[in-house]
Amino acid sequence: MQEDNFPCQDIMTAVDFLQNFLNGISIGSVYAIFALGYTLVFSILGIINFAHSAVFTLGAYLTYSLAVGQFGISGILAGFRIPFQLSFPISLLIGAVLSGITGVLVERCAFRPLRARDADSLMALVSSLGVALVAVNVIQYLAGSEIYSFPADVYGDIRPAIMFHVAGKVVVIRTVQVIIFAVSMVILAILVYLINFTRIGKALRAVAENTSTSSLLGINVDRFILYTFFLSGFLGGIAGSLVGTSFGIAGPYFGVTYGLKGLAVIVLGGMGSVPGTVFGGLIIGLTEAFVPSDYSAYKEAVAFAFLLIVLLVRPQGLLGQSQIHKV
Amino acid sequence: MKQLVFFFVFFLIVCISTTYAEKTGDPIPIGIGVAQTSNVALFGQEQIIGAKIAEKLFNATGVNGTKIRLVYQDTGGDEAGTINAFQNLINQEKVVAIVGPTLSQQAFSADPIANRLKVPVIAPSNTAKGILHIGEYIGRVSAPVSRVAPNAIKQALKQDSKIKRVAVLYAQNDAYSVSETGTFQEAVKSHNLMLVSLQKFMTTDTDFTTQATAVLSANVDMVIISGLAADGGNLVKQLRQLGFKGTIVGGNGFNTANVFPVCGKSCDGILVAQAYSPEANNPTNKAFVAEYHNLYKKDPPQFSAQAYTAVQVIAEALRKVESVKKKKITQLELQVVREELNKAIRTGSYITPLGEISLDRTGEINQKMFYVSRIKMDAAGKVGNFVIMK
Repeated sequence: MQEDNFPCQDIMTAVDFLQNFLNGISIGSVYAIFALGYTLVFSILGIINFAHSAVFTLGAYLTYSLAVGQFGISGILAGFRIPFQLSFPISLLIGAVLSGITGVLVERCAFRPLRARDADSLMALVSSLGVALVAVNVIQYLAGSEIYSFPADVYGDIRPAIMFHVAGKVVVIRTVQVIIFAVSMVILAILVYLINFTRIGKALRAVAENTSTSSLLGINVDRFILYTFFLSGFLGGIAGSLVGTSFGIAGPYFGVTYGLKGLAVIVLGGMGSVPGTVFGGLIIGLTEAFVPSDYSAYKEAVAFAFLLIVLLVRPQGLLGQSQIHKV
Repeated sequence: MKQLVFFFVFFLIVCISTTYAEKTGDPIPIGIGVAQTSNVALFGQEQIIGAKIAEKLFNATGVNGTKIRLVYQDTGGDEAGTINAFQNLINQEKVVAIVGPTLSQQAFSADPIANRLKVPVIAPSNTAKGILHIGEYIGRVSAPVSRVAPNAIKQALKQDSKIKRVAVLYAQNDAYSVSETGTFQEAVKSHNLMLVSLQKFMTTDTDFTTQATAVLSANVDMVIISGLAADGGNLVKQLRQLGFKGTIVGGNGFNTANVFPVCGKSCDGILVAQAYSPEANNPTNKAFVAEYHNLYKKDPPQFSAQAYTAVQVIAEALRKVESVKKKKITQLELQVVREELNKAIRTGSYITPLGEISLDRTGEINQKMFYVSRIKMDAAGKVGNFVIMK
């Protein structure tokens, strides 16, 4: 049945490559901005904020509430409808800001009290895990366990997919994938500008380098830690909302898988490295996309196996160096 | 020391004899062990509605005057939760029988416990192969996947005889979906169709871009999906968004209105084989549909109808136990009721919303009528219906 000659198969492979590449960088860009939330906090405090995946989930629910506002069949908000709906960009922005504020609350509840008592960083890690579990259960209590989907026209009246004809084959990409990639890149550019070319960014980098010295130089360390958590929550909220528009919000636990992938991304890229995180996100996205479709149920296992192999060769991560370029 | 041992043995004997002498509760407790949380709750909540309606309608007369009482335990979506729920229902709530669990995957882990303790289980939605091999106390009112699923492919070919190339996708971490896809693949072969793409996913997956683009590049006429509402609906949505215009056949996981908010407008046209039609013409179904309409202003789904049927079968079998033992259920010991009930369930026939059914000695349902429905969404893609195909 397969009678294609060899050169033709080469062309087809190139088309498949393009298709997988587009799929990979789209989802990889979301992994990157989500994982940057981990990176920012890690740069400043040297610990992983496990509540980040809960903030990711919350961001998606908040944006959904503002843009759609119709609750489902379980949870105490069952059947409730928010009397107003905002446009998607405004909802996304407000959802992300509220997620940022949640990030600040996480810092206040889970990190600051322990930091004030100079507690072991492992305690802060467990404390953030506790906050994550409480947050996810509160979401379940309020909004139930069902899936929430954004309407097909959430981005306006646009075509659902973009098609290219290459070598007689169709390469097709969902418009939402393009939007996700574009929004992620814009957010990334703003973040890079903020970190590298503003006074806040300079202060953040100083705090990341050494909190004691920064404090001696007159930088209010606690305030900049709060800024960091706000930024981290903001990024988590944006990522959650973007994933939600693409795949729906698959219940209150849908952030768990992304949380694990985010951790893989920062380890792969190099802990605390901003360029490494972006690179790591894209690599994990592309690795998943290039798993043959017959085996794509195992794509997460493949991505993590790839991570293991990289760590065996480069324990510091792909872009990690002895002197990591922190925030 | 001897006295101490004597008292200990005496105490043990008293305890054991007290357990054996335990009478059945009044009202008669029947366990409902289905998923009220997790992504499986999409089905479980429909089952609870069906069971509640059965309790209400049946208690108008009861078991010769004695009412039944449904005791609910949330199994969640996994095996551990189901085992806990079953143990609570059996040991704490002292139920005479259990309706549940929602997924075949959960049944394989929890049903052996009920079977070992001789508690009848009626599965309202377990259609996978091997469920009834768990033991003699396990029965089901959900027709096996091999009887129901192939009807959808027949209907698809009736609709479009040009269908030749087929892609089959299934959730590999769900026992039911794995069982169902086997049936679908056999049906594909038996109709001389070409299976050009076979792909797997996980029920926890959300991103189906890889599978969807592979299906598109395989240039197929029909896609057959075995999964749950959440993942299956999402897969359909992404397939349609990427431009797939062919026929989509969904497995039993699509047999719920909860799939509508997941794929919205893209749900339109999915063919689903069904074991239930709201149009079935018998008095039990009419009463059930009327009550469901009264509460929710729409037609009941299959999962609600099957849960109703499961409760009905247990309740009617309890009447048979009374007539055989010539005693009220509440005067009989709990374990005697459980064992007699299991025998009674397997005798005679029942007029249910699923039509006239009976359970054979292995607990398998004998059902006469099957249907295929086509999902029809409104213009906004929010409200959907299962339209039974003629």
